[in-house]
Parts: sequence; C-alpha cells; structure tokens
Amino acid sequence: MAFIEFNDVSFGFGPVSNRYEVFENASLSVEENEFVAIIGFSGSGKSTLISLLAGLQKPDFGVVMMDGDIVQEPGPDKGIMFQNYSLLPWLSVVGNIDLAVKQVFTEMKVDERRDYVQHYVDIVSLTGSEYKKPHELSGGMRQRLSLARTLAMKPEVLLLDEPLSALDALTRAVLQDEIIRIWEEDRRTVVMITNDVDEAVLMADRIVPLTPGPSAGFGKSFPVTLERPRNRATLNFNPEFKKLRNEVTRYMLQINADAKALAPVEELALPNLEPRMPGKLPVQSPV
Amino acid sequence: MLRPTPEKTKSTKVPFKYRLVKAVDVAGLNFLTPVVRLCFGEEPRKQLKDIGLYIVIPIVAMLFGVLAWFAVSEMVVTKSGKLPNPTETLSAAGSIWDFHFRENDKLSAFEMTGAQRDARLASVESRLAELVPLEEKINQEVAAEGKLAQERATQRVAALQKKYDKLKTKLDSESKEREQVLKAKSESVAQDDMAAKKAYIADVRAHRKSLEVAKDELRDLKSKIKTLSDLKDDQLAAAVRKQTQIAEERQYLGKMKDQLTKANRDLKVTGALEKLDLDMASFFDAEPSKMYAAASKVVKAESRIAKLKLSEYAKPSTLPFQIKRSVLCVFVGFFIGTVIAIPLGVMCGLSKTFMAAMTPIVALFKPVSPIVWLPVCLIISSAMIPDPDKHFLTQWMWSLPILGKYQINPAFLASACTVALCSLWATMTNTALGVASVDEDHLNVARVLRLGFWDRLFKIVLPSALPLVFAGLRISLGVGWMVLIAAELLSSSEGIGKYVWDQFNNGGSRSFANMVVVVFVVGIIGLILDRMMVVFQRLVSFDDSPTAV
Repeated sequence: MAFIEFNDVSFGFGPVSNRYEVFENASLSVEENEFVAIIGFSGSGKSTLISLLAGLQKPDFGVVMMDGDIVQEPGPDKGIMFQNYSLLPWLSVVGNIDLAVKQVFTEMKVDERRDYVQHYVDIVSLTGSEYKKPHELSGGMRQRLSLARTLAMKPEVLLLDEPLSALDALTRAVLQDEIIRIWEEDRRTVVMITNDVDEAVLMADRIVPLTPGPSAGFGKSFPVTLERPRNRATLNFNPEFKKLRNEVTRYMLQINADAKALAPVEELALPNLEPRMPGKLPVQSPV
Repeated sequence: MLRPTPEKTKSTKVPFKYRLVKAVDVAGLNFLTPVVRLCFGEEPRKQLKDIGLYIVIPIVAMLFGVLAWFAVSEMVVTKSGKLPNPTETLSAAGSIWDFHFRENDKLSAFEMTGAQRDARLASVESRLAELVPLEEKINQEVAAEGKLAQERATQRVAALQKKYDKLKTKLDSESKEREQVLKAKSESVAQDDMAAKKAYIADVRAHRKSLEVAKDELRDLKSKIKTLSDLKDDQLAAAVRKQTQIAEERQYLGKMKDQLTKANRDLKVTGALEKLDLDMASFFDAEPSKMYAAASKVVKAESRIAKLKLSEYAKPSTLPFQIKRSVLCVFVGFFIGTVIAIPLGVMCGLSKTFMAAMTPIVALFKPVSPIVWLPVCLIISSAMIPDPDKHFLTQWMWSLPILGKYQINPAFLASACTVALCSLWATMTNTALGVASVDEDHLNVARVLRLGFWDRLFKIVLPSALPLVFAGLRISLGVGWMVLIAAELLSSSEGIGKYVWDQFNNGGSRSFANMVVVVFVVGIIGLILDRMMVVFQRLVSFDDSPTAV
C-alpha cells in the first residue's frame, strides 16, 4: 500500500442547487519518499487538493489515507507550506519557527530548542535576519522562512502549495535548488503543487497532471527518470528533459482543449450594429 | 549549484538618522520629520517645503486664530464682562498658577517647625515690611492716577459739556419765554370764543412738543458725554492692576505669617503641651474633692493634643490638583471599561452566538448619554458607600500612599463608572471586529500546529487583533475624557468639571477668563492622552500600516 492514498475522492462547494464539484472520483497514490509534482491550470482545484491532503478539509466521498490511517484532522505530521506564506506578522523569524517547534516538541529544553531553531534558520540561509519581522523580509526570504517553519516540525510528508509561484524567476530558481538540497538530505515524501512544467521536471520524481475542473481528476502520470542531482544549466540540452517537457506540455494543452470542447459555451449572437455619427456633434474621444 | 548568500544583518548598524526618524514617527510627531532630515542635510529644498507645509502653515493659522480671538472678544459683551482676550486669558492662567504655589507655601508653612519656621517667618516679615512703603506708594499713585483720570475725562468732555450747558440755558430761557407769552396770551382769549380757545390749546401743544424735542436733544448730548467720560483709562487700569497684585501678595504674606505663628501646628501643639503641664501640676496639688475635675481636665487636654498633632491645613483645591484628580478619574473609568470591554469583545468575536446575544444590548446602551448614566451611577455608588467617612472601602483608599490624597469618594466612583459605561463600546466593538477578522491562514497555522483553545487565543487571535483593540482603546479614552468633564460638573466630584462649575457660580471678575483657561487645559490634556494612545497603537501594530493620526 502506498504511503499516501487518495481514493475516489469527491469534493465540492456550495449548496445542492448550485454546487461546484471540484473533484469527482479522483484517485492518486504517492509512495514513501517520493517527490510528486501536481501540475494543473489555475482553477483546477490544486489548493483544495493540498487542503484535503493536509486534513484542513474533509472529502465529501472517498477517503484520504496516510501511512495506513485515514486523515481526520490537520497536524504537524502533515507539513503544509501555504501559498501565501501564512507567517505570523507579529513574530520574528525565530519566533515563527519557535512557535511551531515548541508545539511539536514539547519535551525539548530551552537551550536545545534555541539551537534547533537556529539550525533551521541556517538551513534556509536566513542567518543574520533572526530577529526581523516578516514585513521586513523580501518575498523570497518569507517563503524560505515558511519552508523552515514547515521543515522544523519534522513532518512525515511535505505538502507544498505552489511554494514558488509568488516569486520572480531568479529567486524562484534559487529556492528550487534550496528545496531540492534540503529534500535530498532526508528524502521525505513530498507533494508539490505547481503550474510550471519546467519546475516540475526539474524537481520531481513523478509528474501528475490535474485535469481542468470542474469535477477534476488526475491525468496520466509522467515518471521523471533523470539522474539526480539535476543541473539546471546543462538540463536544457538534455534530450530526455526536452522530450519529457514537451510531452507534458502537449498533454496539458490537449486536456485543456478537450475540457473546453466538452463544456459547450452557449454562444450569444451579437446584434449586427454599426456605430453611427450623431448629427454635427464632434466625435468624442475616449477618455 | 546556486545558493543564496545569507542576508547580512543591518539592524545593529542602522544609521542614527533613521533611528531618529523612526522614533519621531512612532511618537506620532511626524511634523518633526522634515526638521530631523534637514538637520542631516537631506534634500534641503524638499524638507524646507515640508517644514513650510507642516510647521509654518499651522503656526500661521494659529496666529490668525489668536487675532480672530482678539477681534471677537471685543464684540462679545456679556453680563460677566467681555469675552476674555488672549492676554487676559494668559494672565488668568498665571494667577491660577500663582494661587497654586501660594497655597502650597501655606501648607508647608503650617507644617514647619523650629529654625526653619523662624527663618521663613523672618523672610516673610521682611518682605511684608518691604511691601508697606510699596503699598503706600501704589495707593498714592492710584489716587493720583484717579484724579488725573478724572481730569482727563473732564478734559475729554469739556467741549461737549460746554455745548450742553449752552444749549440747556438757551432752551430753558426759550421755554420760559414761550410760557410767559402763552400766559399773557390767555388773558386776551374771550370767554366764549371756541375757535380762539382751540387755537390756544394748539399753541400749548406746540410748546410742549418743542419742550420734549429740547429734552431729547439734551439727553443725547448727556449720553455722549457719559460714554466719553466712562472710557476705560488705561493708565488708571494699569495702576489698579499693580495695586491688586500688591494687595494680593500682602494678603498672602499675612496668611503666611499666620500659618507660621498662631496657626502653626507645631506652635499650637507646644502651647497645648505647656498648658497640659500646668494642668498636670494642678492635678497633683489638687485636694481629693477637686481631683476628679482636675483629672478630666488633663485627659481633655491630652486628647486635644492628639487631635492637634493630626490636624491638617485645609487647603482649597487648586486647578493643578483638580487636573490630576480628573486624569486619575478618567484612567480609573477607562480601566473599568477596558476590563469589561475586552473579554466581552473577545467572546463576541469568537462566538457568533454570543455576538448575536450581545448585539441588541450593545445597540441599546451605546447611544445612552453620560448625563443619563451619571445620576444612576451616583445613586448606586452612594447607596453602596452611604458614609464615606466610615466605610471600609473609602477608608482603605484614603490610607493608600499616593491615591490617598485624591480622596476617592462616591462621586468620584460614579464619575469613573459613567466614563466606563460611555467609553467601553468602542473598545468592545473594535475587539470583536479584530478577533472575528483574524486571517484564515493564521487560523490554519493554528490548526496544523494543533494549538489548544488558550494557545490559539493568546498566540494567534489576540496578537492579530491587538492593533484594532488599541484603535478602540484610543477612541474610548477620547470619549471618556469628554464624558468625564460633564460628569464631574454634575456630580460635584472634585476635578476640572467642578472647577468650571465653581467658576461659573462664583462670578468673580476673573472667573470668565479662568473658564477660558480651562478650555485650553482640557484640550491639551485630551491631546496628550490621544498622542499616548497613538504611541501604544504604533508599538503593537506589526506591519508598516500607518495609523490614522
């Protein structure tokens, strides 16, 4: 049995009369220590997927299993990294991490905890900014802090909800390497949501596309067999990388086109009107 | 592999300039920022422009306000005199201040002993001696000025007076003449000539009419003369002011002398002790039959001494004392209100049910005026403490080291409760809003960390709501301060409100100016309280969002 099981899950919002089904009979399994990238268009229910995996929301039908148990409620074992950082703005870098550590490792002594927190500050290269508040940090630094807080809980599975989508291309590259470096240290199970095919190919062991919603499900998965460590500089010339990237992209475009074809949009015929100049009035320029 | 270099900390090396700018900002004194920047030579043109905008223009506006005040005060004439102008207000403030210090002096004089008292007495007496010739001189001066002023007034009206006299004699003689003529004419009118009689009555009517016209003319002139002679004589006024000042000082010194001699506590006690010795002696010598009377005399003398030792100078409340008591009262009320409002607000924010239960209550009581709350509070507090001189609560509060001298009584408590009842709503609604609008993401963090109820409350919900809570507290304190003055005025609780009421009732020559002084005192203290809350608000707000000024 796989480490994470997502069995025939259905989930929707709203009342029966006006229901929006996000997932319908979606199934996914993730092996232990596997790095899975979920890729999908915006609005296809990516964040909902993470919420379901983390236990922040419960499926209407079906079950989410982790390590043989049904996921009932969120907890520190399911380390979720939110899309918009979710840092507590009144706490410093250390304070944010410390809050999590204190809650998870209740036995830890004060000195020990200080060193432990410092270790994670160092891991994400925030050394020197220990006592800054989140609003004094750049976007990339905030994201790294969020990562450190999640990692410090020593979760069994890392759930990354578009961790890099709010960052510029350069910071993004830096953080991709950072996440991979940290992941390679103890190879935990990771489910990462992304909308960037290159990022998925670069980081993941397996790429699973989400079919566009409503009633989304999982498409066919693409195993990434590229050797680690992957070098972003040389990867662009790797034929396997190019092939995989093209395949995934093509597949994504295909399912999107299919979805559009399947969801017929009622075309409203526009009346055939021609603008007419009113009498002698001057033409008004658009403001 | 790309790796970010760790960001170097700069917090220890923030230049002094920026720390100063930040401090000025946190203190809510933003108008000083351009001055600070200018001192460091940063963009002088821009800073000068800012100084012009934020410092010079407000000052100019204030000067205009003062000028307008001068102009308006000339126009507003009331039974209690003209509206005091800025200079009069300033001098009233000065005399309020002097009064305060003189009362403090009297208090210390009352308690002085030994060599200190002798020294003080000597200085008071020497000053009194100095004052005697000064007073004589000023009295003469005033008398002389009075005469001069009289002369000046006569001079001013001389021309008019002459004109008046001339006119009066002229009119008098004219009317007499006409009277004579009419009387003479009466003899020529035939007994049965109706027409002639009618003509005669018309003549008399005309005569009366011209008499009245003449009277009016004279009255007009007379009133002109009066206004001219009544014109305020500046030199005389200055002399009288000086005289008053000296008289006040003499009176103060006379009182001081009393406090240092016959009214002095220590001297009174010594006198009583001497008398006790005599009583003792006569008791020892007493025959058995008079022993009882002598003994009770001794005992009476003893208890009198004990009372004397505890006696205090009955110092009247001065404005500084009343200000302090008002500030204390507003903080007591504010504290009571906060203690009620914050927990209720938190509960409202946490539970929709509780919010639904509270909404009608809040909506009903929020608009109730302090004037309505006050009598209710007064009745309740005086029912709870019927006799403050004997009640354990007031006795305990009067025995406290610092609070004791403010004499917390039922009226004070009623004022404080009124403040609390009127001011707690802003804090409550703001707290409820802050707690209810905690970021969903922050609550998700709490869920992931599996924080318990109290941890969630104290580590996530309250810190997140704190800026809004403080915004509410700031409004509450402002409302409380406004309410308090009215409450004190009505409840006669010693404080600024009572001071205004006393001034209104005593109607002295200075009381109007004193009231205007109080207007500024209340405004300045309100401003200080508000600034204080702004500083707190900035200290707890975690992002850079600027607080409304």
